[in-house]
Amino acid sequence: MHTETIRQLPEYAALTRARKKIMWPLSLATIVAYFALILTIAFNPTALGNPIGDGVTSIGMVLGLGVILFCMVITGIYVYYANRVLEPLTRAIVQKAGDQS
Amino acid sequence: MKFHAPLAVLLSAMATCAWAQATSSSSINTTAVAMFLAFVVVTLGITYWAAGRTKTTSDFYAAGGGITGFQNGLAIAGDYMSAASFLGIAGLVYTSGFDGLIYAIGFLVGWPIVLVLIAEPLRNLGKYTFADVASFRLQQKPIRILAASGSLVTVIFYLIAQMVGAGKLIELLFGLPYEFAVIIVGVLMTLYVTFGGMIATTWVQLIKAILLLSGASLMAFLVMMQFGFSFENLFAEAVKVHAKANAIMAPGTLVSDPISAISLGIALMFGTAGLPHILMRFFTVKDAVQARRSVFYATGFIGYFYILTFIIGFGAIILLLKNPAYFTDGVLIGGANMAAIHLSQALGGDILLGFISAVAFATILAVVSGLTLAGSSAISHDLYATLVLKGERDEKKEIRASRIATVCLGVIAVLLGIVFEKQNVAFMVGLAFCVAASANFPILLLSMYWRKLTTRGAVIGGGLGLFTAVILVVIGPTVWVDAFGFKQAIFPYKYPAIFSVSAAFIGIWFFSITDKSASAAKEQAAFDAQFVRSQTGIGAAEAAQH
Repeated sequence: MHTETIRQLPEYAALTRARKKIMWPLSLATIVAYFALILTIAFNPTALGNPIGDGVTSIGMVLGLGVILFCMVITGIYVYYANRVLEPLTRAIVQKAGDQS
Repeated sequence: MKFHAPLAVLLSAMATCAWAQATSSSSINTTAVAMFLAFVVVTLGITYWAAGRTKTTSDFYAAGGGITGFQNGLAIAGDYMSAASFLGIAGLVYTSGFDGLIYAIGFLVGWPIVLVLIAEPLRNLGKYTFADVASFRLQQKPIRILAASGSLVTVIFYLIAQMVGAGKLIELLFGLPYEFAVIIVGVLMTLYVTFGGMIATTWVQLIKAILLLSGASLMAFLVMMQFGFSFENLFAEAVKVHAKANAIMAPGTLVSDPISAISLGIALMFGTAGLPHILMRFFTVKDAVQARRSVFYATGFIGYFYILTFIIGFGAIILLLKNPAYFTDGVLIGGANMAAIHLSQALGGDILLGFISAVAFATILAVVSGLTLAGSSAISHDLYATLVLKGERDEKKEIRASRIATVCLGVIAVLLGIVFEKQNVAFMVGLAFCVAASANFPILLLSMYWRKLTTRGAVIGGGLGLFTAVILVVIGPTVWVDAFGFKQAIFPYKYPAIFSVSAAFIGIWFFSITDKSASAAKEQAAFDAQFVRSQTGIGAAEAAQH
């Protein structure tokens, strides 16, 4: 099927819109979380060494391990969204494209 | 080409002989030797089996596209979790605590980017290498030459680091001479890739990932058990024992100035999305859905693994520093990188030491095999098929070319491993990430998402990124001062990614928008069709069958 016909499908518009809606926020969230930590390490390393409460565990340790868990959560959110929202749209487009070709 | 079983027997015999010789000079851990030989026998058996199933280019480069998302996620983890990161990060945590965590995070943050921006379009547009995607609507010849150069530079630097690390590790663990250790690694990886292609490589990576994850889990479990599974108790004890005391809870000397910090961050984050051996793994799954699933599992395994490594590093601080048996003249035997290995003995005696040593060796083999396969496919699929075969499809010739390329890469890797024995190669993984972030990633990302990209822009900008990255590392402190021995570096920063990645993006942007040629207009017009396929996968399935 011709590219133009697919591009005219309402599902195609919905797919590209839905993908944009998840793609940039999640990429930016990862980049911001990581560089916020890196920049704190560069400009204010002592702040990260401050302990939380009375213990020895520092804020940096919690934030650092937090970024690792955050990455896993981001991939989880994306896969969940993609399977629920992007996949049905993609299947609809593929089916319509198949019908008309 | 048939797999030669006698070769395998010969190799095992050679190894056993060498070990028998070495036993006389130093004490050898029999568990380690037995475990390692078992790994070699099993993986060579798999290679024999895979060789019978490797008939087409699709089998050779992409395991016929028959790997599931879960398997591929585990194999990606197996490809990515190198011995350098296992021993290196544990060693860095052991030496300076928090600093080790900075690296661990850096190696992980690229994965959400790979998932959200790269994985699905890559699977939908490409066949065997990322150059397929970059050259989708651009001119084949210049783009493939550039992408193959970027791939090969990345692969070679990465390989040198792994080979030297392998040689030293095996020398230390098994008492084998350095050269012999490097040759064993070189021969084994060449056998896996030449005969078994992607199928054997994938299984080697799967087995290795399971071994490494279980070994590291066991060690971390044994460490945490001693501290009531409380991080606070673990940290408190480590702070008490460590010479730097509370300083291990805060950033230390690893990142000294803001430019280096941001540069290192950029290289690690975007470099992951430009590593050819990782990108290649996405072509082993059926479709974009499985590609997406692969990254989800891979990120989980890799993140989990880094948390384990971190616990292992802290365990090493507590259990090793108290025990003088692991030190000679106040220095940890074999250096900080051996912290995880010594810890395994402290936790589980010679049996666990043997197991972890064998796992470390298996880890190296899996990583170098993936790298070699990526390097040889850049040579055969991108260079040979485009420049020599000129687009004429001849699977037999292409597979033969990649097998010859594999053997050549194996020989080169062994020679470079021997040449660089006495050099500090730690910077080479960083350099590989920097080149991947500066040359491969910008071309790949913009070819997928930026309509105005033209061949001229991609070639000049990508070349600029590649060139700048390599030159700045050479004239920077790590090579100019540490390796060449000059007094002062011409370029003051250790990590140049902020400059080289910017150079690539600006170069690509400028030379694309000023490109008014007719071919440029055609390339830009082809974007819509490419984008439809990258988003929906329509056309991808048929292409993969050819």
